[in-house]
Amino acid sequence: MRMAISGIQTRMATPALRRIREQVIASVWFICAIFAIIAVCFILGYLLLNGYPTFLQINLWDFLFGQQWNPTGSSPEYGIFPLIIGTLLVMAGAMAIAVPLGIASAIFMSELAGPRLRTVIKPAIELLAGIPSVVYGFFGLVVLTNWIRISFDIPTGETWLAGSVLLAIMALPTIISVSEDAINAVPREYKEGSLATGATGWQTISRVIIPSALSGITAAVILGIGRAIGETMAVLMVTGNAAVIPHPIWNIVSPIRTLTATLGIETGEVPIGSLHYHALFGIAVILLLITLAINLSATIILGRIRSAQTGGAVKKQRLADETRVKIRHLLSYCLIGMVLLLVAIAAGILPCLILLIGGAAAALIWKRISPKMMQKIAYTLLFAAVGTVIVVLAILLIDIIVKGLPVLSWEFISGYPSNLGREGGIFPAIIGTIYLVVGAILIALPLGIGATIYLSEYTREGWVTKTIRTGVDLLNGTPSIVFGLFGFAFLVIFIGFGVSLLTGWIVLALMILPTIIRTSEEALKSIPHAMREGSLALGASKWQTIRKVVLPAAVPGIITGTILSIGRAAGETAPIMFTAVVFTSRFLPDSIFEPVMALPYYLYILSTSVPGAQQNAYGTALVLLITVTLFYGAAVLIRIRYQKSSRW
Amino acid sequence: MTLAILEHTGLNIQTPEHPPMGGACGDEGTLHPGETPSPVIHTENLNLWFGEAHILQNICMAIKRNRVTALIGPSGCGKSTLLRCFNRMNDLIDHTKITGEVRYDQENIYAPATDVVLLRKKIGMVFQKPNPFPKTVYENVAYGPRVHGIREKRELDRIVEKSLKDAALWEEVRDRLYQSAMGLSGGQQQRLCIARTLAVGPDVILMDEPCSALDPIATAKIENLIEGLKQRYTVVIVTHNMQQAARVSDDTGFMYLGKLVEFGPTKQIFEHPEEVLTENYITGRFG
Repeated sequence: MRMAISGIQTRMATPALRRIREQVIASVWFICAIFAIIAVCFILGYLLLNGYPTFLQINLWDFLFGQQWNPTGSSPEYGIFPLIIGTLLVMAGAMAIAVPLGIASAIFMSELAGPRLRTVIKPAIELLAGIPSVVYGFFGLVVLTNWIRISFDIPTGETWLAGSVLLAIMALPTIISVSEDAINAVPREYKEGSLATGATGWQTISRVIIPSALSGITAAVILGIGRAIGETMAVLMVTGNAAVIPHPIWNIVSPIRTLTATLGIETGEVPIGSLHYHALFGIAVILLLITLAINLSATIILGRIRSAQTGGAVKKQRLADETRVKIRHLLSYCLIGMVLLLVAIAAGILPCLILLIGGAAAALIWKRISPKMMQKIAYTLLFAAVGTVIVVLAILLIDIIVKGLPVLSWEFISGYPSNLGREGGIFPAIIGTIYLVVGAILIALPLGIGATIYLSEYTREGWVTKTIRTGVDLLNGTPSIVFGLFGFAFLVIFIGFGVSLLTGWIVLALMILPTIIRTSEEALKSIPHAMREGSLALGASKWQTIRKVVLPAAVPGIITGTILSIGRAAGETAPIMFTAVVFTSRFLPDSIFEPVMALPYYLYILSTSVPGAQQNAYGTALVLLITVTLFYGAAVLIRIRYQKSSRW
Repeated sequence: MTLAILEHTGLNIQTPEHPPMGGACGDEGTLHPGETPSPVIHTENLNLWFGEAHILQNICMAIKRNRVTALIGPSGCGKSTLLRCFNRMNDLIDHTKITGEVRYDQENIYAPATDVVLLRKKIGMVFQKPNPFPKTVYENVAYGPRVHGIREKRELDRIVEKSLKDAALWEEVRDRLYQSAMGLSGGQQQRLCIARTLAVGPDVILMDEPCSALDPIATAKIENLIEGLKQRYTVVIVTHNMQQAARVSDDTGFMYLGKLVEFGPTKQIFEHPEEVLTENYITGRFG
């Protein structure tokens, strides 16, 4: 067919060529997407295969519910029940602190803070996310455990409480930023509609905005739990690691040991192929199953909320409205009764009575509070929550900066370590960390963006996308120490890469891939469909539309994802400590098959295994902080620039 | 620290000591004593800036009770902004500056003592795009009464039913009250939004191009509805559809480039406009 505008036509490729090009491009993205699935299946399979021999020798029941974990004793025992309980307790404690603080901060930032305040707080929260877990662990070890030891008057502060507090701080940024995005995504019209009926600001927030953002907030909490449950280093450094069940069960100052910490402590020292080695894989499988359960429940919750919101599925209400209200009342009374009973058992009748009367009084007052008063109370609480977060961040930063700054000098930055790191510098560690991060990003970014493009542009929602997404979610929930164990067993020993830079890259890339995919997908999804249609209507091909319209608009979102990934990659210790790093080295690596030094691992060893190296540890922590901050700063600047140039 | 900074609105309210340049209100639009019906909303030398842009210039008008007032004019002339001044919806936009007065029942609504919540309860609003909350039909309508403290189920039921009937939606949704409002058609959603506004028991209803996203049949339904509403409410409607203004309104204001060019009974505006500009717009010579 000849067209009138021949000048345009001649510059276009022939239809056949174009079709082939489009198909090739589409299949490239498909391969990227399928890679995530293969990686997950492979890791899972490998872990199962290596964990399986455990159960030939130990009964599954004894493994799960055995009360003793003592694999190196004269009569070894492999009961992981205390470890499972430890993991759950630390996680629950962390969530009890982080969920209220996180959601409150998110509400504050998106609804109450003015633009100027927001530009200050948002980077601060992102910085909080960027602080490596080993730095938190270090801070916990030298400051937090001390406070706990003194204020509870106990022999050591390395406790469940310390672990929960640290984990809460670490889960906060995830919860805050994801919830904030969810709240911001609530259409402005809802807010206006609510305010126009004369609702107060707080009523609008609590009855319209939060319910509308609920799926996103749920996702935020789940992601936070995922972060908390998979965390190894910080927990390992501050919880005391005694494999006991706290007695009584709510004794928050009891030492505790988690599944992840067990892997972190024992993987490096276990004889390959022994029962102990297989038992560690058994632990990894259990850990994976727990995260899988969390993720699945999250997916189900999210799906339900989404279908309720869109109203697509016509669902008959099984119960009449009034019956449902009655049931809800009954349930809440049961809950109150249970709590009272627990208090009565734990602390006696008197506190129970006080609680009952206090609660009743509070409920009475609650009903009489005017909406305005309620708004004041709510806003005060939100303000207090944000204040707490900021103060915690400030304490942490000030402590490390004040004590680390005197150590910093040119010799420290550019020198090589000596006397087990008590003296000398950390130059090889800085370079090693940069090598690791850059390599991992170079591997993960193209793969991740490719998978994202396939997921959001080339497929309809169906079983393919569902499978891939489940795979990504699974990979995302996988604790970093499991990647470490996998890398150690498969890449280092089985393939024979050895402890090397290459192994580190692969392991880190696998670990950050899901973060990149998830955030990029959000970014692509947020681009209005009309923009794509506008481009397609001009006769642009699918790939042209993606490249010229969709991707540029999604760049800020993708960069945010990359920022989060860099933060993780630079600060992670668990996945690299058995696969890529050495404690000290007097040389930089010559090839990718040699190990490197890395800041986080160096800090970990300095603070836990080298007495008298606290000064240099502070210095290292500060350098690690600065390195991560520089990465973040650069990325944030890029994002701001893009946001300015592409607004719609 | 006070809570004042929490209630950030970005709004800068100034009450001018001298009337701004351009002269005080002229005769047109202001109320002559003894004239009926009495004005509900009265603006005096209202000026509004978004940042540097002077969006509304010296607006003087009196909106009369139990009548439908239409605001017409080309896109970007400030008619929606003016409408949003009446219930202080512009407060939500950063860098807004307002001078002059908007009086509702003789009270300046931009006075510091104004209770914005109470004001919006009295002056409801229907938006350009239907914006039901992602809740059930019932919950959407019951939302307003609930936030204003009504808890009894029976009372809520009564209000919901009455509001839906008044919005001419009851027959269509009575069997699906507990399904998501997002499943309704555009026209139904818009009537639901009207019902939601009615449920609060407002005095004035502001409508910001309520039919611009709807098809002709849905539009006709809404227009009929407006006709009925004016028995009990005062309606102010922004529209870019002149036929609609002619059909539904009693008074019409023509705005151009941020100024209220002419304001008077609809019949007069459409048949014997005083200003050339108005005539040109109405006869379709520009706009």
